[in-house]
Amino acid sequence: MSITLDQVTKHYGGVPVVNDVSLDIGDGEFFVLLGPSGSGKSTLLRAVAGLTGVDHGRISLHGHDVTHVAARKRGVGLVFQNYALFRHMTVADNIEFALRVRHVRGRVRRQRRQELLRLVALEGMDQRLPAQLSGGQQQRVAVARALAHKPEVLLLDEPFGALDAKIREELRRTIREVQRELGITTVLVTHDQDEAFAMADRIGIMNLGRLLEVGAPHDLYSRPATRFVATFLGAANLLLARRTADGIQVAGATIAAADRTSAENEHEVVAVVRPEEVELAPARSALTTNYLASGVVDEVVFTGALEKLRVRLDAAAQTPLLAHSGADGEAVELLQVTRTQHEQRGFGVSPGQNVAVGVRRVHVLPTPLSSFTACAASAQLAQELSREPLLTELAARMKTRITTRCEPKLGVAEADGETAADFVGTTVIASQTDCAHRAEWLLRRGARDLLVLPTGAAAPQRVLIHWMGEAARGATLAISASVLRHVPAEAVYVGIFPGQGSGGRRPHGIRELLDARSEAQVAHGLEMRTELRFGEVAEELARRLAESPAQMLIVGVTDLARFAERFRKLLDGGQWPVLIVHRGAP
Amino acid sequence: MSFRAPSVLPGFGLTFGFTTFFLSAMVLLPLAALVLAAGSMHWSDFVHVVFSARALGSYRLSFGASFLAASINLVFGFIIAWTLVRYDFPGRKLIDALIDMPFALPTAVSGIALTTVFAQQGWIGRYLEPLGIKVAYTWLGVTLALTLISMPFAVRAVQPALLEVQRDLEDAAETLGAGRFYVFRRIILPTVLPALLTGFTLSFARAVGEYGSVIFIAGNLPMKTEITPLLIVIHLEQFDYQGAAALGLVMLVMSFTVLFAINLLQTWGRRRHLQAANS
Repeated sequence: MSITLDQVTKHYGGVPVVNDVSLDIGDGEFFVLLGPSGSGKSTLLRAVAGLTGVDHGRISLHGHDVTHVAARKRGVGLVFQNYALFRHMTVADNIEFALRVRHVRGRVRRQRRQELLRLVALEGMDQRLPAQLSGGQQQRVAVARALAHKPEVLLLDEPFGALDAKIREELRRTIREVQRELGITTVLVTHDQDEAFAMADRIGIMNLGRLLEVGAPHDLYSRPATRFVATFLGAANLLLARRTADGIQVAGATIAAADRTSAENEHEVVAVVRPEEVELAPARSALTTNYLASGVVDEVVFTGALEKLRVRLDAAAQTPLLAHSGADGEAVELLQVTRTQHEQRGFGVSPGQNVAVGVRRVHVLPTPLSSFTACAASAQLAQELSREPLLTELAARMKTRITTRCEPKLGVAEADGETAADFVGTTVIASQTDCAHRAEWLLRRGARDLLVLPTGAAAPQRVLIHWMGEAARGATLAISASVLRHVPAEAVYVGIFPGQGSGGRRPHGIRELLDARSEAQVAHGLEMRTELRFGEVAEELARRLAESPAQMLIVGVTDLARFAERFRKLLDGGQWPVLIVHRGAP
Repeated sequence: MSFRAPSVLPGFGLTFGFTTFFLSAMVLLPLAALVLAAGSMHWSDFVHVVFSARALGSYRLSFGASFLAASINLVFGFIIAWTLVRYDFPGRKLIDALIDMPFALPTAVSGIALTTVFAQQGWIGRYLEPLGIKVAYTWLGVTLALTLISMPFAVRAVQPALLEVQRDLEDAAETLGAGRFYVFRRIILPTVLPALLTGFTLSFARAVGEYGSVIFIAGNLPMKTEITPLLIVIHLEQFDYQGAAALGLVMLVMSFTVLFAINLLQTWGRRRHLQAANS
């Protein structure tokens, strides 16, 4: 491996800017770090270059740990967005800078300079000053300069940011050619997905300091695992669907599930429909694909090769479409569609026209959190709960919706009691006295994921994770990973064992923690720290939660026996949000 | 060069007129009067005044001490500016404001303050005395006073230039393998050199013209600690206006020569830069 990052973390003023990032980049690979501004990608790059220290974790280059090695000894080349050329030096002096520092003889220097200038197609520009070159040429010089000392790793920090489209494309090609010719391991940081697609062997997508997904461009585009990647990489329509025995059910359509079939019973999932996978036809019978719904064309934009449309689906009871943020940040509930010239000729549409909408391909996100349902004893309380800041923030970040549900008999024990009701997504209740009791009531009636939310809870800075019973482990980890992708917090797995923690229990406990950590990392891409505690589970968790503010608990349970009694300490009037993941025996 | 309006902004004629008028009235006219006054002397008298041993001694002190003061300010002014620009620490704003104090203080006050501190019985002077170092009433005191009153010029000239040195440049140099000193010598220094020279020039110019603070600490012994401006005042006190004008003319010519030389040096530096670029 050329570059190995192991749990790299960097805080600025207490906020994790880079959060537990682990990554391997192979020899000669062109790796693109893609993310919106403020996602921590540039900080990560600077950490690899050695210009920024890390608070935690290790960085290795070619098998050597360089975490504490100064930038000038790391042997990397770095190219900046603003070129960072030495303005008082000629092109020749700029390029030879690294060689002069190393006291390389003049003849060798000149030879290397010529070589590099040829490589970036700037022959004969030796004696120019940076100010006399165009932006594109300056960046070429910067690339040549960064390669002069034959670094083993080339790092590019938004190198095309300041250039116009035409030059950008040209320089992209040059850099890709240079990279291929030299076979140098390269990391490029950008917020431009076209750039990432055009250049990358592999793309790593960052958001809120976390590395969400890593993969080949095509794989990431066609099979994203997270909402963020699905919507950031190209356009995507997110729809709430149900996974049933027959396949994926979206609105009117049931589409055979091509991907892995889940042994779990029917539940709500989030489906991705790419705009180009949508078919429009004058009537349902004319569709060649699965009928989704009927709708009205809201907007048609001609963009040359493609036509971009927005279609308002008919409000049949409830639209499955999840609102996405428009360009102005306003929520829009319109289906995005792109059509080729060929499709346009087959069936031309104009705004206001009624159309039948079909989908060719649906991708189901493996994310376990689909939507939220605020549940309370009265409609008004449920409304209030649905406006809780933490809940609305979570829903906004997850690009999902909050519905309300009124359960007048919430928590009232009845003789005919445990009839399973239809609970979809994550159920949310307010934290109050005797809510452990209410929680048990809901869990016994089929709520799978239950969020107990204190009034006015703030976004957590630390999420504690624990599960009681192995059957809940997978789901707890999956849900924790999903939550942590949307909240900039650190994850801590708290392993709790009965007794005092003496003798032979400790090694056993530590082994279990390490297993949990590696499973989280491998199966869910979740980096978490671990803590070992001894004592009674609920008591220890409550104690841990009380230690510092702004913490949240995600706890997996399998067994509901004496639930309210066991969880009273954790839930009743608690100051912290608790997400209960119930799996196993129904 | 032509006098056609060089930009789209109107009013070139008017502003140029004001410029020449003000320069003439405030600078050129008094200077011309000075030259005229000196010119009305007999040649031998002129030489006698200007090349007297006492005058030569005062030139040496005035220009020597000013040069020394400006050099000291070049180094320490840079360090102060660097500290203020690059680091954030409690009291930074206060220190930044303190820099300008010598501007605002009547120079006589500075002189008296320095004398209090550095006289034989002064706070610091009494400890220097046993070491054989005398500050007050020697050339050392003169240099000290000139350094104090010209320090703000050096700091204020370098500060904005340092602000403009991009951190990225240093980062780039570092990834290319350069150590701190190398980065300083090859990247930072060349970038701020013009500003440093300007700071030096301003400091020097200010120091040469200084009178108020020096006379308190210098002791004013002829040939030893007598600066040229003081000599001029002495001539004036003896109603020898022509002698004073003659000495003034010499100062004028010498100051102008030095400043012009530094200006040329800067232009030359810029041009060499461009030539390297065009060849």
